[in-house]
Amino acid sequence: MRVLYAFGLLVLIAFLGSRFLFRRSKVLSPWSFLLLSGLLYILLGLLLGKVGLNILSPDVLRELTPLICLGLGWLGFLFGFQLEYRYLRRFPGKYLGLSLIQTVFIFLLTVLCTLPLLRVLFPQEAAFLLAGIAVAFGILWTIHSPSLINAAAGSLPNKGNYYYLARFITSISGFWGIVGLALLDSFWHYPFFKDQPLLYGILVFVGGTVLSVGMGFLFFALTKKRPPEKDLLVFLLGFVFFVSGAAFYFNIPPLYTGMVLGITFSNFTRLHEVIYPLLFSTEKNLYVVFLLLIGALWEFHLDVRIAALVLLLIVLRVAGEMLPLSAARRILRFPFALPPRFGLSFLSTGGVGIAFAVSVKMSFPLPLTDVFLTAALISILATELFSPLALRWSLLKLDRNQ
Amino acid sequence: MIFFAFLILPAGMYLFRSPLLAALSLPEQSTSLAFGFLLLFAFLGGKIIHRLKLPRITGFLLAGMICGPYILKLLKTSDVTDFQLFDGLALSLIALTAGGEMKIGEIRKRMRTISSLVLMQSVFIILGFLAIGFVLKPFIPFVSQMTAAQNTAVWLLLGTLATATSPSTTIAVINETGADGPMSDLVLTTAVFKDFFIIIFFAFALSFSRSLVGPGTSFDLGFLLRILRDIGGSLLIGLAVGLAIILYLRFIRRDITLFILGIAFFTYQISHHHGFHPLLICLLAGFLVENYSPHGDRLIQAIEKSSLPVYVIFFAISGASLDLNALREGWPLALLLVVWRGVLKFAGTYVGARINGENQDVRRFAWTGFISQAGVALGMAIMIERTFPEWGGMFKTIVLAVIAINQVIGPIFLQKMIYRAGEA
Repeated sequence: MRVLYAFGLLVLIAFLGSRFLFRRSKVLSPWSFLLLSGLLYILLGLLLGKVGLNILSPDVLRELTPLICLGLGWLGFLFGFQLEYRYLRRFPGKYLGLSLIQTVFIFLLTVLCTLPLLRVLFPQEAAFLLAGIAVAFGILWTIHSPSLINAAAGSLPNKGNYYYLARFITSISGFWGIVGLALLDSFWHYPFFKDQPLLYGILVFVGGTVLSVGMGFLFFALTKKRPPEKDLLVFLLGFVFFVSGAAFYFNIPPLYTGMVLGITFSNFTRLHEVIYPLLFSTEKNLYVVFLLLIGALWEFHLDVRIAALVLLLIVLRVAGEMLPLSAARRILRFPFALPPRFGLSFLSTGGVGIAFAVSVKMSFPLPLTDVFLTAALISILATELFSPLALRWSLLKLDRNQ
Repeated sequence: MIFFAFLILPAGMYLFRSPLLAALSLPEQSTSLAFGFLLLFAFLGGKIIHRLKLPRITGFLLAGMICGPYILKLLKTSDVTDFQLFDGLALSLIALTAGGEMKIGEIRKRMRTISSLVLMQSVFIILGFLAIGFVLKPFIPFVSQMTAAQNTAVWLLLGTLATATSPSTTIAVINETGADGPMSDLVLTTAVFKDFFIIIFFAFALSFSRSLVGPGTSFDLGFLLRILRDIGGSLLIGLAVGLAIILYLRFIRRDITLFILGIAFFTYQISHHHGFHPLLICLLAGFLVENYSPHGDRLIQAIEKSSLPVYVIFFAISGASLDLNALREGWPLALLLVVWRGVLKFAGTYVGARINGENQDVRRFAWTGFISQAGVALGMAIMIERTFPEWGGMFKTIVLAVIAINQVIGPIFLQKMIYRAGEA
């Protein structure tokens, strides 16, 4: 009977997918962005998972783990592939500086504020675990997504400096977040994190990086003589699967290995015009499946502790995005003024943020990471809902004033 | 570069599996790594084999065998078991394509030939196997002590299994070569029909064999009914799935690939848990979409986009799953049975084609489309092993060895014959 439910839901999902989701509406509202970003699939996944109809039961999910792994690696690859030096060097160096200052600030702010709260809420947990979770929250909040700004691009007739700066920061910040996650996973390597020597962490981190760079070169070498599109798809799937599988095997984040593979390949290949359509045509299918699986994997439960964490995280997100900007402008001697509300345009974390939260859960299969995943996903969903309004207050109004 | 990559990948995989790095790893999380490795290694294997003018599918299979649990042991048996879902998804997609390739007009036109080929092949092979069974009885340890009735049961089942073909392999070779002509069409349709017929016939043969082997055991009608229920259920589900696809293509039209993937997953789930036949479900669904709606081309196009990775995965997993220990143990007998089966296939196909006045190409070459064996035969062997635990294990060993040989040589023969018939 459950299978029949699944079938019905499948048709419903397909219908929703085709009719509403991922469609751009003329006026960007919270609801339309939630549909556009496909985040609703997480909720559908939740319905299909253990806490809902249990169609995607733990056994089924175990069988589908390679797909989650592929989804993470694919997102990483897609992100890394866009980090092409030829494109990035067009932006002034100060943009990078601003991105770094903002990343460091929001990371420190989040860690310093969540750690005491975690200690109060979970006094029975080991201190090093709570510190790890606080660091994970810190890294999560350094991540931004350019998809909202890209979606709103149509509403910005006058794409000035602010737009390009916001796009740059949201595009690049995921890099710091993913590298941070890789460092966290390497130097706090589960299940050895209690008595792990420093050398061990270096070995895991460098090993993961070298492997991904090496595979990126091999990918480039194999596709140097432009292969047919079908062959390219197999190579793409194979390499992303391989590096993300290796990451899983050594318990480092597939997001990181996928990203490094993407960066390496992107900066050598000349097949961008073939790869991008291929990536984008496959992206949506994989992303939907990925979100459904994440929803199913999510052992959702809400209590006062999680609600308190979510509340704090939302406040930190808003504060962390807004506060450092004026100081950073002065430090970097920015050529143009940054309006006080400018930071609000960075609230969305998008798919990379979700992938990050899931990566943490998969790397550290502990009860506390269930709390992390729940708090992170609720906070992400809440900020995603709020982010179109915030963007309107910051960039769109600014644009009108320009 | 392809050769270099083909060598470097297993070397890297070997390093990952070595005790040095295994200490840093989570061995239970190796499925994704193994899957990525298999996909790349098999694809490169296919490219190398293709340079030797052999079908890429053979390369995928051989690569799967080489890195599988019996030769290089880069994939563990547990990895291969964990690939079951992907294997099932790939099978569903291949079957949907096959159903979509079956044109009702063509079937009506050649129904007599198809029936004749299925009938003649079955008669020749089953009688041929019964005959050789009596000749070989003293030389095969596990049947030498059996009574004549028991020996008949064993060879009746072996003959039934020998009749089975792997339609997915036939479809893949025809797709890869781009074959288009009367022989390819006939081979494809017959392979699919034969599978359907063989599943039903197998149910009879197994029930009959039980009554022959077990003293005092009567014909097991319940078993037969269960198999018929599975087939009937599969056809009903196939009808529902086909209808769902038609409605989707009629009213929604977007994201067809995603929907088809969902359908494949659903088919896998329902087959895996309730014993239905994914091949039948998807064949019928594809057939309905092609012949009872104007959307067949759209369906095929959507699946075609991802057909290459699907084939690589399916055949590489098939290769990795082949039991090479069985081949090592029983290869002389297996080889003899493969040759004998080939002779009988040729004779059955020749006679069947000739009765219906088919041309020389069909008479001489069409049998090559029925050599490959995979999932259906394997499934039957497992059922036999369970039904006859006293000798089912040894029986299965021989069958696995025969399947391993047939699955490797089948695509090569078919490709050569397609070229010789001038259909590619």
